[in-house]
Amino acid sequence: MHRWKRTFGWWMVMALVATMLAACGGGGTGGGGGASSEPIKIGAIFDLTGATADVGTPYARGQIAFIDWKNEQGGINGRRLQLVSEDYAYQVPRAEELYTQFVTQDKVLVFSGWGTGDTEALRPKITEDKIPFISASYSATLANPAETPYNFLVAPTYSDQLIIAMKWAIDDWKAKGNSGMPKFAYLINDSPFGRSPLADGTAFATSQGIDTPLEVPSPRGATDLTPQLTQIRDYGANYIFLQNVSSPAALAIKNAKSLGYDVQFVCLNWCANEILIKQAGADAEGVVGVVPFNHEAEGGKIALDYARQKNIDYGGADSTFVQGWTALSILVAGIERTLADGKELTGENIKNTLETMGAIDTKGVTLPVQFSSTDHAGVKSTRMFRVENGRWVAITDFISAR
Amino acid sequence: MQSGTFHTTYASDVSLRPYWPQRMRIVLVLVAVLIFPWFADRYWLNLANTIAIAAIGAIGLNILVGYTGQISIGHGGFLAVGAYTAGLLAVHLGTPMWLTIPIASFFTAAVGAFFGLPSLRLKGLYLAIATLASQEIIIWLLTHGKLLGIGESLSLPRATNNLFGLPMEWLGNNDFAFYWVCLAFLILTVIFVSNLFRTRTGRAFVAIRDQDIAAQVIGVDLFRYKLLAFATSSFFAGLAGALTAHYRGVISWERFTIETSILYLAMIIIGGLGSVSGSIYGAAFMILLPAFLSNMARTLSGVVPDINSYLPYIQQGAFGLAIILFLIFEPEGIVKMWRNVKDYFRLWPFSY
Amino acid sequence: MDRFIQLALSGIANGAIFALVALGFVLIYKSSDVINFAQGELLLIGAYLTYAMVEQFGLWWPAGVVLAVVLAAVAGVLIEQLVLRPMIGEPAISVIMVTIGLSSLLRAIVGAIWGVTPRPAPQFLPTDTVTILGANVGVDRIWAFGLAITLFVILTLFFRYSRDGIAMRAVADDQQAALSMGISVKKVWAVAWAIAAITAAVGGILLMSIFGGVSGTIARVGLIVFPVVILGGLDSIPGAIIGGLIIGLLQSFAGGYLPPEWGVGEVVPFIILLFILLVRPYGLFGQRIIERV
Repeated sequence: MHRWKRTFGWWMVMALVATMLAACGGGGTGGGGGASSEPIKIGAIFDLTGATADVGTPYARGQIAFIDWKNEQGGINGRRLQLVSEDYAYQVPRAEELYTQFVTQDKVLVFSGWGTGDTEALRPKITEDKIPFISASYSATLANPAETPYNFLVAPTYSDQLIIAMKWAIDDWKAKGNSGMPKFAYLINDSPFGRSPLADGTAFATSQGIDTPLEVPSPRGATDLTPQLTQIRDYGANYIFLQNVSSPAALAIKNAKSLGYDVQFVCLNWCANEILIKQAGADAEGVVGVVPFNHEAEGGKIALDYARQKNIDYGGADSTFVQGWTALSILVAGIERTLADGKELTGENIKNTLETMGAIDTKGVTLPVQFSSTDHAGVKSTRMFRVENGRWVAITDFISAR
Repeated sequence: MQSGTFHTTYASDVSLRPYWPQRMRIVLVLVAVLIFPWFADRYWLNLANTIAIAAIGAIGLNILVGYTGQISIGHGGFLAVGAYTAGLLAVHLGTPMWLTIPIASFFTAAVGAFFGLPSLRLKGLYLAIATLASQEIIIWLLTHGKLLGIGESLSLPRATNNLFGLPMEWLGNNDFAFYWVCLAFLILTVIFVSNLFRTRTGRAFVAIRDQDIAAQVIGVDLFRYKLLAFATSSFFAGLAGALTAHYRGVISWERFTIETSILYLAMIIIGGLGSVSGSIYGAAFMILLPAFLSNMARTLSGVVPDINSYLPYIQQGAFGLAIILFLIFEPEGIVKMWRNVKDYFRLWPFSY
Repeated sequence: MDRFIQLALSGIANGAIFALVALGFVLIYKSSDVINFAQGELLLIGAYLTYAMVEQFGLWWPAGVVLAVVLAAVAGVLIEQLVLRPMIGEPAISVIMVTIGLSSLLRAIVGAIWGVTPRPAPQFLPTDTVTILGANVGVDRIWAFGLAITLFVILTLFFRYSRDGIAMRAVADDQQAALSMGISVKKVWAVAWAIAAITAAVGGILLMSIFGGVSGTIARVGLIVFPVVILGGLDSIPGAIIGGLIIGLLQSFAGGYLPPEWGVGEVVPFIILLFILLVRPYGLFGQRIIERV
């Protein structure tokens, strides 16, 4: 044992020395995107092993697949796209390290983030470094260019999603022949992400004459949401809006069925996906959701066909795969237009192009995405979907929040 | 090289580094550390700052766990208290950095002493669980922080990053400027803590770790010294947290979860419990490990094409594996390995 | 009143699951003084192995479950031999850290093999509900309650009357004395980890049914274990059951009666924990440790 210990000690010393050398040598891979045949570099961080890895992984696969597909289509005027990406496991310090590494050493031009924590943390840096940034955090604070000139939102904000969902709910209530106004409740992730849209949602609801909705946080890691549901049931809610990820949402839906509580669940985008259907099983039938990225549209079909062709395993989460694919395609459209306009590829030029290029077509996955210099919320409307026979099916046309 | 310990005065007996090779090493390290930022790019400065701040936090945890023997899984919570105190002061009162950092540190020390009260009744695992509870409670307070004006994240106004009125920009870009600030605080921390264990208080801490009942018998006031240990440890956690808040400019609760607490524990265990330099080695190791692995993966991706898709799992597994391997093969940490290296050269050609 | 009965039944049903998870933890502590932070990951391994046997290899489900449980036991013994055995005699903090490192490693291995996207639960698990006293309870939770009680009875009898059980208690009490009486401490530890892995596998299977799928969320339930075992006493099996039921009931009533905006459901177990620790540091049924200098 002692000999093992001593040998181990020497191996570790050598490993540590190697770390220093490798870390010193490993930096500085390749120059910038200046020369005309150099690949165009895009930075991205993904959650593949952390708290949100269940949706982070298909999103990541979608983004990587898009870049591969685009390169197979010839890249941008013959120039290849190169995605520099790594897992950050939802740890903000690691996100910051990777961002700095990709920007300083790999010299990426644009960046694709993921969660609220890292998007918030990187906000001042991307403004300073002039790096156009998209992410999967649809918080309303990211839409205002006066505060965050380099953040671009490619889906309706959580606030908008909630208002759209409420509009649908009011129409649905009336269509069922009820008079008066329905009662609403929120069942949310117990975190700032969960609370993000509530203020705007409540303002909208009260303006329509609905009682202030009951706000019920669902504890992270709970194995049973029956206590929360009994409170909502006794409050008399007709519609429960879920701002949460799929696992707790599925649990809520199953518990409600167990409880015999007949209520309409409405999911915002992070639980309106195939993972919810997988986990809630038959109980998911009839659940309505906001699905900003329509995987059945032409653009979605291209993405899914490519995935099938290349045998990409994204765990069956079609809509999240298409979400990642489409989000990155919007950013790349900006790069393409900047080059087509003959401008030099810098972050600032790409930002200006995105703001002025007009509508970006996503082949039906979303309404054409349009940014402006006063508004970076590219999409303000979405369709409502419902789970029918184990699939998400569109049930309305595009509803807008404003 | 010395061939034994021969002191002829009391002063040299209690001094921290009595021998010239040790002093030479310190001078060399100082020179390297002072030259480094002029040649390093932003990425390396960023890493160095992260390591420096983590080292301050790790030294704080080591005071509590390594020197006083009180297991604490709540360090992330105390870092959060420091960061949010500094942040809230900066946001609501516009207090500049050179005031928020001391205030945040002392406030966190008080909070730490409060959450250290269970240590008077509990030991070992039970204390660890109590600190875990304190971590969860602090995070709960932060995620429900509407009263305090904490939304999804807290953004500190840039203007508060000034030293006695001089804006940080005068020193250069953000990473470069903060390098000097973090370095200064790290050096102060190291000097303070190294000297702490030459004083009466420090000896009391160590006595509590070794045999607290015997210590009580010989007159060490357990109540006072245990709370002081928690307070001192939390002081440095608050310092590290406040530095993070000003350096990063934006803080959110996701930075201070239980995974952070576990990361700091891993730092001090791998680095070496009960050692200031061990805390620094441990901090450097844990922060450089994922970067090292991804560099290795990049180089190896020619040979093993699929390695990049497994990299996240390798990084996650490497964290656990590093802890396990160190604990099995070298429980006293990197600092012991370094000591072995030094001893080898000192004693060569003999083996002991 | 209606709400009260519903909450009470839900609380007991959930508490049974917590008790099941805590049982494995208590077993390991009772026989080897090891605080296993990787208990949640043992749940995960049990669940994924069952999923693999039944869904991926297509075995008939009772055979699949038995095979998965056996493999989980083997995994438990392997972990004990490779990771815990070298930790004999090390201070408590090192042992805690080793199990923390283990939990990270196990999660990485599971993720690498099966990926992190949730997989749907195998079909053989019960999904319907029954009505008792006017309240609805899921059948899976009734199974959890039944299994917890059964395991409790079996383990109590095991520890009291069987040779191996008494040997385990002896080792927990005083290793040296047990060794000198000819008890194989190594065998005792291996058996303890095997049984803990088995109870964890059963718990994992039930959690698959509750969550509707097998995913990393199952491992997070492991954190619940701590308030339960501290409440019940680290080395007490009846304590694990009673602690689990109490925590389950408390969570249920807190979530069901307190104003939801407070959002205290998450933090209630920890506050209870702190309170209990200050009043009765060894839990309700734990043994007072007498320290000698």
